[in-house]
Formats: sequence, structure tokens, C-alpha cells
Amino acid sequence: MAESPFIRKEIKGIRVHVLPSDRFKTYSISLYVGSPLEEANVTANAVIPFVLRRGSAAYPETRAFRIKLDEMYGASFGFDLYKRGNNQIVQFRLDTVADRYVAEGGSDRLLREALAFLIGTLCRPALEDGRFVAKYVEAEKTTVQKKLEAVINDKIRYAAERCLQEMFPDDPFRLNALGKIEDLAAITPENLYERYRRWLAEAQIDLYVAGDTTPETVFGLVEEAFDAGRGSAQPYRIGNPPAPRVEVKRVEESLDVAQGKLNIGLTLPVLVPDADYPSALVYNGLLGGFPHSKLFVNVREKASLAYYASSRYDGYKGMVMIQSGIETGNRDKALAIIADQLEQVAKGQFSDVEMNQTRAMIVSQLTELSDSAFDMIAFDFNAVLTGRRRTAEELAESVMAVGREDVKRIAGQVRMDTVYFLRNRQGGDER
Amino acid sequence: MKEIRYERLNETLYSETLPNGLEVLLLPKAGFSKTYAVFSTRYGSADNRFRKADGSEIRLPDGIAHFLEHKMFEEPEGDVFQKFADHGASANAFTSFDRTAYLFSATRDVEDNVETLLDFVQAPYFTDENVEKEKGIIGQEIQMYRDNPDWRVYYGLIEAMYAEDPIRIDIAGTIESIGTIDKETLYLCHETFYHPGNMLLIVVGAVEPERMMERIRANQAGKTFPPYRAPERIYPAEPEPVRERMHVVELPVSLPKCFFGFKEKKPAGDGVALARQEAATRVMLDLLIGPSSDLYQALYDENLISDSFGFDCQMTPRYAYSMIGGDTRDPDLLIERVKDGFGRIAREGFAEADFERMRRKRIGNFLRMFNSPEAIANEYTRHRFRGIDPFGWLDVYESLTLEDVNRRFADHVNWERLAVSIVRTGSRP
Repeated sequence: MAESPFIRKEIKGIRVHVLPSDRFKTYSISLYVGSPLEEANVTANAVIPFVLRRGSAAYPETRAFRIKLDEMYGASFGFDLYKRGNNQIVQFRLDTVADRYVAEGGSDRLLREALAFLIGTLCRPALEDGRFVAKYVEAEKTTVQKKLEAVINDKIRYAAERCLQEMFPDDPFRLNALGKIEDLAAITPENLYERYRRWLAEAQIDLYVAGDTTPETVFGLVEEAFDAGRGSAQPYRIGNPPAPRVEVKRVEESLDVAQGKLNIGLTLPVLVPDADYPSALVYNGLLGGFPHSKLFVNVREKASLAYYASSRYDGYKGMVMIQSGIETGNRDKALAIIADQLEQVAKGQFSDVEMNQTRAMIVSQLTELSDSAFDMIAFDFNAVLTGRRRTAEELAESVMAVGREDVKRIAGQVRMDTVYFLRNRQGGDER
Repeated sequence: MKEIRYERLNETLYSETLPNGLEVLLLPKAGFSKTYAVFSTRYGSADNRFRKADGSEIRLPDGIAHFLEHKMFEEPEGDVFQKFADHGASANAFTSFDRTAYLFSATRDVEDNVETLLDFVQAPYFTDENVEKEKGIIGQEIQMYRDNPDWRVYYGLIEAMYAEDPIRIDIAGTIESIGTIDKETLYLCHETFYHPGNMLLIVVGAVEPERMMERIRANQAGKTFPPYRAPERIYPAEPEPVRERMHVVELPVSLPKCFFGFKEKKPAGDGVALARQEAATRVMLDLLIGPSSDLYQALYDENLISDSFGFDCQMTPRYAYSMIGGDTRDPDLLIERVKDGFGRIAREGFAEADFERMRRKRIGNFLRMFNSPEAIANEYTRHRFRGIDPFGWLDVYESLTLEDVNRRFADHVNWERLAVSIVRTGSRP
């Protein structure tokens, strides 16, 4: 069995993971801060990283903060906010050129600067009067509000979010990882700073460094720079899959759009840690994960109804989302074809060729993870999150062992839950 | 096969031009599992007029280069995605103004996959029926882009700037224009623009150069092509001024989207001059309005821009422009503030220290690109097709001076040549 290439150590309540490698021209650093996705805190938690990126104690002015990044050979710094099951994850990323390509003054000068910068950004924010800088909080509340309002601009994303909202009306999973617009008004520099203190103390924190360095160097730098008064690291909790619905929920909405968007949410009670996870990957691959899959071939290539028709399996929540963009008048036709594909997979009506192609594609995706430091980091973090350690090689082996009966067993557990359709406005000057 | 060692990049490039004219580049990446290959032709949406050998002139239907890209994936025995999938490889393609690129990424059987790539792109198979069927699919692609405000504001700016140049025509065409496409015209385009002499293949990643090159040579030697005659493309003369100062599209959006930019007066030529112009323009834009500029921060503080704000530039031998923008509550005020901010710079000039920092940032970005086989292959092709040395950017940036950037600013930022594109919610309820 292949061993994970990461070397790990718990330091001051955070998990530190180091991947020494000279294949990359940069140091890739990811800092994951994860907390349970909760109605009460989702919005404040989301605003925190926006405020942190405005300035730290060392670089309190935003412009100085960004100039420092430029000076580190244009270090790319950013963060993402997303859901992994019912966890709200903030991922900070910093990518800076490896010292050997721009060597000046010491073999790991840029790594030192980058780590100190990132840890400083997380642990020692710019403050005024013992709380966050009011100007930054106000501006970033506006930024988050704009981002939430902008979801409607991208109709593909909008339809996917609306489908989730309808599918999970009582589950925080329906929420955007950026939170809720209506919560923003109540956020103040004081209460946000309070929330930040608790977030920093209680969230799960994983720091990853990949690049031309040694674990000792990184561990030493973290010992020096990290300071958040935390207890010991706790495992993440991954929830239970959703219960199937008795009757399919159907929702239709209209907007000023040229193309209709059809989204179908399905429950699949298989999660990443489960033994059936590799089979669920193959199921989704056969159904709609690739251009050789049933949805692409039948909705697009054969019926010529769509440009895209695909499915995505979420093993952190236990669901599948099918999506396609079609002419409004073709809704029933598309639905019938999709239902037919679901049934075919369930009945085992797929060829050995389809099975082989699907397994080969998934294995290829897993194999190429090792070419990107950030992909390797993301894969490893998912193992930390779910508590199930599988290397990419182990998962690839399991995928190769998935057979037809395994896929049928998975298909037998899939239940259509919600059909969401975004259509154009009727009448008027519509074509 | 030529071997070129780039010491500072720690990379080695292998190249050869085959007897049929095909240019092949191989870049092995030590320790990588994946291989990424791109097979591109110098033929894009803007190459819509040409003269045939008999002297007659052809005007192609809008969107045909992109339509052809879609149709290439079909073979008599089915669609070629399946062949790649047999090897766990994923294939794709894209069409831009000046090129059409076919690509795959794979973690095994790389040589087989490269042959599949060469074979399918060099063997068109069109029938009346499969051409008709594609019209439905591309029709939906066009509708998807119609609903996408980011695409509309981007394209609106090009339409505002250019009166004649065919880059102003949407890459996918319209539902009406693709309706006129037939298999005969597709074959004509393929014959004219897909000759190996007009194409470039680059393979980056887990590749063994000698064996790979041998396989490519044998594959190409097994096919016959007529002698290469460079297609005689015809482009209309583009007037110097922008076509319209402002272009507005109505679409439901949470905030107006506003892109603006300057249309370059005359192209810089190609090769080193073009590369220097692009480098100077990028550093200039970073300095003027990048995230660490005073102006960016002032606009953000005034709630006129948000994280969506950014910039880009296109510098080619025929057309060149800058593009700046994002979501804004007030497009007019944004433009006014930008004018003021640029005016201040025009009086004071850029500071040497700021220039150094931005040059450094660009060098870092260039080096970072070498982590990604996809980025290497795509950037290589893009620059090569414009006559720029794709690996020469370190030299270009290192020889760039503050004086170059100040001069670039004086040349480029000409308010007479400004165009603005806006997408905003319509008045219709």
C-alpha cells in the first residue's frame, strides 16, 4: 500500500502537514479553517476572512498588505469559502516562487516570509480599540452582500443553488457558504471580533505546505509564528446523509432568460468514508460525470437538446445533482431522457466498455492529482475531514475493483428528490 | 530534433518541423504523471474571408470555425471522446479569434493518445445529418452565452471598439448564421486551414521525447497532404477610432457590469516588439489599477468596485486593446474617477520602486506558470502564433525599463480611443 507523502505534526492545536518536493517552482501553502455550518454563525464566519485580508498587525493598511505580496515575487494570496457536507470551510491559499528560482539572501527566505505573512494574517489581524477596524468591517459586509446578490447573474449557479434550497428546506446545507444577506446588518466590529476569537480558538485548523523544503523547517516556522491559544486539535464531524423524500418535489420559476435550466437533486446515502464510496464514484461517472457518460451522449449527442448535461456526486452530503441547459419547451423531453438514463443504470443496462471507460477516467483523475501541489493538498485534506484515510492510489485500486453489481446496488439507493426548472417568462415578446 | 535548454527555468524543450510542415514541441516534466497535448491550427473565428487558389474569394458563415471544432469530434465509428476514454484520457477543444485548439490530458498510453489526437483532427467526417444535429447543440451553447452577463459585457466592449475587424463577430456566430452551415463549407475550411503547415502540436508532461517524436513522425509520414500553400486570408481595414463610445446591453443583473478599455492605434508588429508592448502594458495596468494601487483602493473604498474588478490586455499583430472593469453601482462615476486617477499619474509619472515591484510580480507569475502543463502548452501556442518567443518573457521583463512603461502609458491611454461596455438590468418589469 502506498503511503501518504505528507509528514505531519500537531503544533499548538493545529495540524501541520508538509510535502517536501522539488517538482514545483513554487511553495504552495493552504490553510484550512473549518467549523460546523450553523444558521447562527454562518454569515459572521464568512465575513471574517474578508476582513482578515484587509490587513494584519504587521501590514495594517490594505495597500501595504498587497504591496508585500507583490514584493514576494507576486505571491498569489486568496481564500475560498465552501461547504463540505455540513461544515463551513475557509481555505486560505498562498503560492510563492521557490527561492531557488530567484535566489537572493538565504535558501528559504521566501518560504519564511510567506508563512509568517499567512499566519500573521490569520492570528494577528489589524485592530483598532481592541476590535476589528470599523472601516474594513463595513466595506467587507458590502462585498459579501454583493457576492450573495450576484448569484443570480450566473444562471447555472443560481439554478443549482435554488435546487439545493428546495431540496434542503430545513437543513443548513441549503445555505450559501457566504451566509445570508439578512444577517449582515447586525454585524459590528465588536461582535465580529468576538466571533473571530471563538472561531480561531474552536475551529479545526490544518496548515499544508508543499514545495522544496523540509518538515523541520516548516514545523519550526509554525512554532515561532503561530499563536492562538488553542486546545488540542479535534476531528471534523461529518453528518448523516439526507433521508429520502416520499414524493418528488417539483419547482418551477421564471426569469428573463434565453435558456431554461433543469436541475435535479437526488439523494444517495453513501458518504466518502463508506466502503461503497468508490462504487458511488463509478455510478456517477457512468451516469453523467464525463463526455462518454449516458447524460452527455443521450441528452446532448443523440437528442441534440443541450450543450451541457451532466451529474455531480457530493460524497460529503450524500447526494447527486444533475444539470442541463435546454430550450424551455423541451423540459418534458429532457426529463424523460434523464429518467430513462437513471433507469438504465439501475437495471444494469450499460456495457463493459462504458464500465471500463468510466473506471479509467476516474483513475486518471486520481493519478494526475500528484502533478499539482494544491490538488494533492486538497485530496489529503478531504481525508482529514472525513476521517477516512485513503491515498489516491488506494482509492484508484478500489475503483478498479468496482463491478456491475456494485453499481446496481448504488443505483438502487438513489432517489429522485427535487426537480427544479428555471424557465423564461411566458408570453410578451418571447420567441 | 532540436534540444533547447532553458537553464534559469530548469526546463528543456525539444522541437522539430516535420517534412509536411507540422511544428512539434515536446516539453518533458520530470516527476509528472500527467501529459497534456494541444494540437492547434492558425484558424479562428476571425479568419472568415480568404482567397482560394483559383483566385475566387470566399466569405464564410459566422461561427463556422467553432462549428468545425465541434464537428471534428465525430468519426464514422462514433464520437472520439470514447476513444480517449478507453485510455482514461479526457479530450476537449476551444476556438478563439485566431486559433482552434484540440487537446487531451492523460496519465497513461500517451503516445496512443497523441496519435488519436492527430488522427481525429486530420480526418474530417461530416454528413448532412450530423451537421444538422449539431445546430441544436450549438444553438443551446449560444443561448447559454446570451444569458451570461460576463460574456456579454466582455463581447460588448469588443463590439464597441471594432467596426470592421471580424473579431467583433461572436465566436459561436448566431442561431441564424449557423443555420446556413453545410458539410461542403466545413470540408472547404478543413482543407484550407488544417494543413499540417498551418498547425502546431505541443506535448507537455510525462513524455519521453525520442519515442514520442518517432511516433509522431511515423504517424505523419503515413498520411499524404498536398504541398502547403499558406491560406490567403483577407481582413477588412479597421478604422482607427472606436466604433462607438458606449455599448449597452440589458440583462437582469444584481449590479451593472462595466468594462472599458483603449483600442490601440496601430499594432506593434510581431516578435520582440509585440512582446515588449504586451509586457509594458501589463506592468502599466498593474501600476495604474492593480489591487495594490492607490486608485484601486480608492475605488474600493468608495464602493465603486468589488472583487470582480480586474483587467487584461490583448496584443496581437493585427488588433490590440486593454480591458478593465467589473461590477459597479455607477458606471459613469467609475469612469470619471478612473480618468481623474490616470490624470494624476500622467502628471506625476510612475515611481521607480513601484515599477520594480510590478516587474518582479510579473516574473513570479511567469515562473509559476511552469507548474502547470496546461498553462505551458496553451501559453506557448498563443504566443507562438503571434510571433512571440513563448519562453522569452524573463528577458523581456528584465530588460523592461520605467521609461518603457511611462512611454506606453502616454501612447496607450488616449481618452479619444476609450470604449465602454455596460450590462444592466432593463427597464422592462
